[in-house]
Amino acid sequence: MDFRGSYAEGSAAGDYGYQGAPESLRLRQRLSAVPDQSSPQFNWNPDHTSENEEGSSDRQNLKELPLPMELKKAIRQVQQMKVPVVSGWQSWRRSKSKTLKRFREEAGGILAYVALWRRNLQKIGGHFGGGVQSYFLFLRFLVVLNFFSFLLIASFVLVPSIIFHSRSSGNNSNINISAGQEVCTYYEPNPQGLVDFYTYFIDLLTGTGFMEYSYLFYGYYNNTEGITNDFSYNIPLAYLLTAAFYSIFCLICIVIRMGSVIRVTVKTGGRTVGGYSMLVFTGWDYGLQGDRATKLKQNNIRYKLQVDLEEERIKLKAASLTLGQTVGLYSLRAFLNLIVLGLIIGAFICIFLATQFSQTNRETDFLSLVVQYLPSIVITLANFVVPFLCDQIALLEKHAPSTTIILALLRAVFLRLASLGVLLITLWSQITCSTEDGGTCLPCGYNHTLYQCWETRVGQEMYKLAMFDFLTVIAVMILVEFPRRMVVDSCSWKLVKFVGRQEFVVPQNVLGLVYGQTVVWIGALFCPLLPVINTVKFIIIFYCKKMTLFYNCQPANRTFRSTSSNFFFLLVLLFGWILAAFTLIYSVAAIHPSMSCGPFRSLTMMWSVVPNSFHSLSSSTQDFLHYIGSQAFSIPLFVLSCVVLSYMAALASVYGQSVSLLKAQLKLEGRDKQFLVKQIEELSLASRKRQDC
Amino acid sequence: MGNKQTIFTDEQLDAYQDCTFFTRKEILRLHGRYHELAPHLVPMDYTNEPDVKLPLALIVNMPELKENPFRNRIVESFSEDGEGNLSFNDFVDMFSVLSEMAPRELKAIYAFKIYDFNTDNFICKEDLEKTLNKLTREELTSEEVNLVCEKAIEEADLDGDSKLSFADFENMISRAPDFLSTFHLRI
Repeated sequence: MDFRGSYAEGSAAGDYGYQGAPESLRLRQRLSAVPDQSSPQFNWNPDHTSENEEGSSDRQNLKELPLPMELKKAIRQVQQMKVPVVSGWQSWRRSKSKTLKRFREEAGGILAYVALWRRNLQKIGGHFGGGVQSYFLFLRFLVVLNFFSFLLIASFVLVPSIIFHSRSSGNNSNINISAGQEVCTYYEPNPQGLVDFYTYFIDLLTGTGFMEYSYLFYGYYNNTEGITNDFSYNIPLAYLLTAAFYSIFCLICIVIRMGSVIRVTVKTGGRTVGGYSMLVFTGWDYGLQGDRATKLKQNNIRYKLQVDLEEERIKLKAASLTLGQTVGLYSLRAFLNLIVLGLIIGAFICIFLATQFSQTNRETDFLSLVVQYLPSIVITLANFVVPFLCDQIALLEKHAPSTTIILALLRAVFLRLASLGVLLITLWSQITCSTEDGGTCLPCGYNHTLYQCWETRVGQEMYKLAMFDFLTVIAVMILVEFPRRMVVDSCSWKLVKFVGRQEFVVPQNVLGLVYGQTVVWIGALFCPLLPVINTVKFIIIFYCKKMTLFYNCQPANRTFRSTSSNFFFLLVLLFGWILAAFTLIYSVAAIHPSMSCGPFRSLTMMWSVVPNSFHSLSSSTQDFLHYIGSQAFSIPLFVLSCVVLSYMAALASVYGQSVSLLKAQLKLEGRDKQFLVKQIEELSLASRKRQDC
Repeated sequence: MGNKQTIFTDEQLDAYQDCTFFTRKEILRLHGRYHELAPHLVPMDYTNEPDVKLPLALIVNMPELKENPFRNRIVESFSEDGEGNLSFNDFVDMFSVLSEMAPRELKAIYAFKIYDFNTDNFICKEDLEKTLNKLTREELTSEEVNLVCEKAIEEADLDGDSKLSFADFENMISRAPDFLSTFHLRI
């Protein structure tokens, strides 16, 4: 099997190459005395009959030839002159495919021009490298995702609600109120009497008051079935299904993006063995511009090489430890991990207490703003303090530098998502009265004394989290980063110069984005306008981060590999999605909806709107859906997907095996070549000696 | 676009579009950049294919190449005579190979040429040392340079001749996920 032919399957560059031996063509290389066996061989008269005859593949092959432009133009002329004998149908098809390809190229050019923030991203990548650029690419992905989610929600929930509100053609279906449940339907969101002017400002920040009974929150939507002439629109069903489709849409986007990133990783064999050669040959970013960026990149590469050499030394030292020292090291590491775990649990307890306190105290004076924001403040503080302490502890653990970075990241991710989870568990336990006796929950199924409309309260909590996250980013930028840069630039103390300018640390910033997006996913069911708020927030954050990057920051010394880190960001985002999905499923299926507000006020479970409206479908649709849900369909489907999965796994393992076989063959061929060259030399030496004698 | 340009004939633009990864607009823009490097030497009218070559010193002053430590090698690899004098065809070729649409195999061929300082079709230890010094601005100690070069050759050399042939190089590049994004010049 010809290795070159199979490796370059589908691309012509593997079949063509250049030859060192002199030919009538002008070549770019200086002629070498040794016959050139190492460079790829060029076949000037390729066997066209072995390839397909489509015109487009000829054009693609031409672009990929490693020849000077004049030669390529000459080849093109020769190709054009070779008029193959084809029928009229084939020639028509060929010209149509040519125009289609041209059209696709033009369209691709226009789309790339229109792509959001393309110039900004190029500039960022040019000055700070691929790692920082991947953060901004991730941010752009989230902005587009949120915008399309908002369009989805607006078209299916918001616009029909507005239409039916203004026309008031729908009517609230009467709910069956049993005795003792009248207290559940009491809901008064608007404050009574005169309010101070600053209340409006507080309301804007916390989502209470004039903002509470509005399209922003769940409580405003009615369970109307808007009926106009022959058209009926079931708003509760639309609300629920839109939330479900929104989640699935986000999941599909993430998985597609992960797939394209994984494809690159799998093609290159996953584990990047061979760090030194790869660093030397692929370490330099040719797109870097600017004197400062270049010098920093050179320092960066030098730092990486020194770190790699240092890691080797550490590994050698670790391998030479005695048994006693190893046991001591591992027990030290176990102890330090326990301390880290204790810190994290301490943070969780603080969040739990803060949430309980803030939910049970609700006044309307200015101090109450702090009380309302208490969970957000505690979460943000914990996410700042605990990783900092963990970093100091990690210095004692004496891992290799790369392991330290990965460990710190894993701990930070776990802390972020788990603190959000603790907040939600606290809220849910209060709503369903699991922390106190069940008395307050008996009439309505939820804690009606604290929460007249619990979904709106949860929505407000998520809104507050998102707002506080945004305010933190702006505040840190204004109060920490700009002053730091001014101090570093104007002050000439040694200590200040040592601390230096701010570094743009990519992983922490990405975790902040994932946290913000997870909050939006959790809150979207209760606060339908949260995606559009988040879109605006992320756009503002993009420009603020770009500004702080160029004015205040220097590139980080320890950079992140851009391709493997892209996959890591998407994986963390997926974890956030899973957290949000659990939350949504639990609220939809387990908690009793509020009886005083919202589209589900007449039901005992949010999900029941789907079976209820099921019966209004036509009987053939009902039968079809019954069939899909029954065992006769799902079991064969399950078996079929298992078969497909095992086929894909077998295919992947076969590809892996053939790749390793080809690599071994390559090695053998090289050795054979060396052996033969040596034999040729010996033979020629021997024959020359014989001639001399 | 609507206006008729007179720099190239349509036939020439078609040929450029087929032989490179650029569209017509980008080729015209590249001609503008080539022209502004030496406005007196480069004619605005290329319909009769003038034989104009710009020297190395002018090309490496472009902002995209100015701080690249391999700028001389890049320009030399794409020139006909190996001395760095680029005609417009070579100029377009260079940016086409370094653009983001060029496939991995094509870029690997030219990357090998760039890093092969003594143009003997092998990357030997001296070539590696020169590459490393250019990468780190000669701030590594000589024993570190030695160590890194030995380790790099050890990792990538498959046929055991203690220098890298094109096959070794291409095999190593195929395992590098970052190569496509770093071997990319934006213009």
